[in-house]
Amino acid sequence: MFAQQIFNGLSIGMAYALVAVGYSLVFGILRLINFSHGSVYAFGAMMTLFFVSTRIGIIPAIIVSALLSGIVAALVNKWTLEPLRLKNSSKIASLITTIGVSNVIQNMLIIVFGSQREAFPAFMDFGSVTIGNSLVIKSSQIVVFVVGLILLLVLTIIVNKTKFGLSMKAVQQNMRAASLMGIENNRVITITFFLGGVTAAIGGALLGGYYQIAYPMMGAMLGLKAFAASVLGGIGVLYGSVIGGLIVGVIESLAATYLGGTYRDLVAFLILIIVLIIRPNGIFGKKTTEKV
Amino acid sequence: MKMNKKKSIKFTSLTSKLLIASLVLFVLAFPFLGFSSYIIRIAVMIMVYCMLALGLNILTGCTGQVSLGNAGFYAIGAYCAGILATKFNAGFMVCLIVAMIVTAISGLIIGIPTLRLKGSYLSIVTLGFGEIVRLILLNWEALTNGPLGVRNIPKPSFFGLTLTLNNGGMYFQAVILLSLIALVCYLVMKSKYGRTFNAIKEDELAANMMGINCAFYKTLAFVLSATISGIAGCFYAYVITYIEPNMFNFDTSIMILSIVILGGMGSIRGMLLGSLILVSFPEVFRFLNEYRFVIYGIALVVLMRYRPQGILGGRSSKPYPLPKALRERVDSLNSDVGSYE
Amino acid sequence: MMKKLSRIFSVCIVCSMLLVIGGCSKTAAKTTIKIAVAGPMTGDNSEYGIGFKNAVELMIKQWNAKGGVLKNQIELVVYDDKNSPEEGANVGQKIASDKSIIGVIGHFSSGVTMTATPTYQDNKIILIAPSASHPDFTKQGNFIFRNNAVISTEAKEVIDLAVNYHKAKKIGILAIKTDWGTSTKNVIVQIIKDQYAAKGIEVVDVEEVVEGSDDYTPNITKMKQAGVDTIIGACMYATLAPFTKQYKLVDPSINIVGFSNAYTQNLLNLGGKSVEGLTFPVIFFSQSTEANVASFVTEYKAAYNSVPSSLTAQAYDSVGILLTAIKQVGSLDRDKIRDAVAGITYAGVTGSTTFNATRDAVKPFNKVIIKDGQFTKLAY
Repeated sequence: MFAQQIFNGLSIGMAYALVAVGYSLVFGILRLINFSHGSVYAFGAMMTLFFVSTRIGIIPAIIVSALLSGIVAALVNKWTLEPLRLKNSSKIASLITTIGVSNVIQNMLIIVFGSQREAFPAFMDFGSVTIGNSLVIKSSQIVVFVVGLILLLVLTIIVNKTKFGLSMKAVQQNMRAASLMGIENNRVITITFFLGGVTAAIGGALLGGYYQIAYPMMGAMLGLKAFAASVLGGIGVLYGSVIGGLIVGVIESLAATYLGGTYRDLVAFLILIIVLIIRPNGIFGKKTTEKV
Repeated sequence: MKMNKKKSIKFTSLTSKLLIASLVLFVLAFPFLGFSSYIIRIAVMIMVYCMLALGLNILTGCTGQVSLGNAGFYAIGAYCAGILATKFNAGFMVCLIVAMIVTAISGLIIGIPTLRLKGSYLSIVTLGFGEIVRLILLNWEALTNGPLGVRNIPKPSFFGLTLTLNNGGMYFQAVILLSLIALVCYLVMKSKYGRTFNAIKEDELAANMMGINCAFYKTLAFVLSATISGIAGCFYAYVITYIEPNMFNFDTSIMILSIVILGGMGSIRGMLLGSLILVSFPEVFRFLNEYRFVIYGIALVVLMRYRPQGILGGRSSKPYPLPKALRERVDSLNSDVGSYE
Repeated sequence: MMKKLSRIFSVCIVCSMLLVIGGCSKTAAKTTIKIAVAGPMTGDNSEYGIGFKNAVELMIKQWNAKGGVLKNQIELVVYDDKNSPEEGANVGQKIASDKSIIGVIGHFSSGVTMTATPTYQDNKIILIAPSASHPDFTKQGNFIFRNNAVISTEAKEVIDLAVNYHKAKKIGILAIKTDWGTSTKNVIVQIIKDQYAAKGIEVVDVEEVVEGSDDYTPNITKMKQAGVDTIIGACMYATLAPFTKQYKLVDPSINIVGFSNAYTQNLLNLGGKSVEGLTFPVIFFSQSTEANVASFVTEYKAAYNSVPSSLTAQAYDSVGILLTAIKQVGSLDRDKIRDAVAGITYAGVTGSTTFNATRDAVKPFNKVIIKDGQFTKLAY
């Protein structure tokens, strides 16, 4: 049973990792916790469901909803956060704004789609593999893993090997210097949000398919736990989010097994707090020195 | 010209005194003016949220530590009162004192480990704390009845007289508690402690360099904030007579923070105004039922965009007007809540 | 200083005026008959609150088409309690301040309703709750009625299904962490210990989950490890469907028994093929061929585009009981109406309803099983 629980945890963890990556991207560049990320995730899943009902097929539906979610995330940045940056507002203002946006998106989803859980098409169920005599691995788990790793790879390539990734890092390090170097800060930031939205939507579609369930509130708790995962791994570091997610998933699964199902959520938050107190930069985060 | 100015100052002072006096009279006479018990209840809730906002104000508005988990202190205060009142038949004052002590200790518990954290990281830890409190309350069934909550909390009674919402007793209890808390906040903010908190908010590093023991003052801010929230929680348990863990979740913390932001950080009058608006808003706009939360979210976004210092925040509290150029500089500094990570 | 003060003052005045306007009830004509529906209309459980509202609205429309009651049209007022105790008490106060509201159908969860019941009792407003299940619910006063099965009664039916139909030996319990879920779990454990332990039937595993967790794999692994052959699910469809799906992937032969509040079309939609073979005790059966049930289901489907669930049907009957009682009494005397409700025998879509001495509804249960994607009557 232990091995199975570990494996269950790894699957849950990959889910967190997919969402955590989005937090990482935005925090890395703006040092801002984007609370609306969880609601964009739910938006992505609900949109996929909507497009599936228009019979264009599941993969096209995912692509369309990913693009839409990316656009929504980019608009959130352009309309609400950018003006705040221009005015040199405080960080709390941006934080509160993202919370407000999250409220708006989530409740608009409830108004349009209703709060009930909807069945998500099981497009990843091809059966399961049994290893040894007790470890069962479902095909959907394998798909989630593989897609998650591919996504991570793509993002890492974008960040490290492309010119755009270079400009992202420049904006991360010093916004003023970056703009002096000819980088359009706002464009870079908007595209980062777009990428975050796309990953969130893909995560939403994958997890929707994994659990075969989608509903407007699905981003709330998951968003918080994914945030814990990204902090654990070192916020701002992409592969850290994945490792963090996996660790949170496994610990949560073990907690559910040995402590009882309702202690799952508690564990994620405890991890968050302990990590932040002992090692605020996370496992892979870089220590930043504050210049006076 | 000079005569006019003098006259207008005198006029202002007398009129403002009259306004304040009539406001006070209105507040005192409120429960007897024939409003329905629904309205009195709303008024009491406004006062409870004002107390919570004052508590958060000390931490966030004055000291710049943005806390997203004050619902945790609120919950601890409420549960202390609920459990003591139902299981041990303790009186109101006993519950209040125990609630204050327990929440003060919890303020220490969260304040000390987070001394090294700044900005967003601190906020997230407080968020985690708030959720952990809620989850512990949900799971520790032996003490808190878990999801069943604590029911039938009796009304407080003093010297044989039971206070309820209907006889105006709880209303005046709320007024007294709120006034005391507001007075304490006012005194703290005017004292050297308040100035130290503000210094930490503006620039912690500089404050450190000036010889201020930031660790002590930050922890003090947490303890004060926790205690005040605990008092509000204790009273709230009596108002509502049934508490369960899901009443003290992240949304509640955000509501309290929104009141602080809306009213204006660091301003006591702002807290009252903020809670007045944010508590009565959903009641007045009940017909917009479905869209209530959407409008609430939009309001937050718009507020942050166009008036981030809140309605009454960012105002110089000096008795003489500053020259225009200097005033603009101070305002632009005030609107920025400290340097953040 | 003056400007600031006058600004504050004017805002205060405006706010208080708005409050007064919002709080005061409209001066209604003395003979307007209003019925209130209270429940979560927004937020997580809004599907249930909206279901209540739909059912009550439908019944009121039908009565109004026949001339209303006591020669007056009936008006529906809807209140949203967001499933929170604070709002529940607020709603109670608001309803109490509107003197033309004669009865309330609602709220949704027992705990929330019980913050408002003292207000209803003090103001002689009749409350008929279609979904309250807390054992102490009706003890709050004699104007408080429960048109839903008490947990212990339904639990006995569920255990009977598990033991006598599924031939359970090792039972696992899945319970959601709400006041209903926790109470139900405790009752089930107690009944099995008291009445079935001698027959060698035992509860081998209890899994508590928080509503809204979509992943049940750790719980499933534990249950399988414990050798569970039948599961009793004290949860709503939102938990039961994904749990069943995930369990059947691991053990396709597992038997699962649910409670009547999971009996809804949404369960079939969400669960798909995996919920085949699930059994429930129900009071309301939407496929019943009885005339009144069939017409109710058809009209509800036509008006609201969904099949009514158990809870919705109970709300429908609750308002029917109230209106019938008013008609019986012939006046708006609240005490007389209360007495009429207490003594009524109402033939509704959930069968014949009567209230016992503690104002809990006494209802016979039917058993259903999911076969070929439909709920079908079960006899054994």
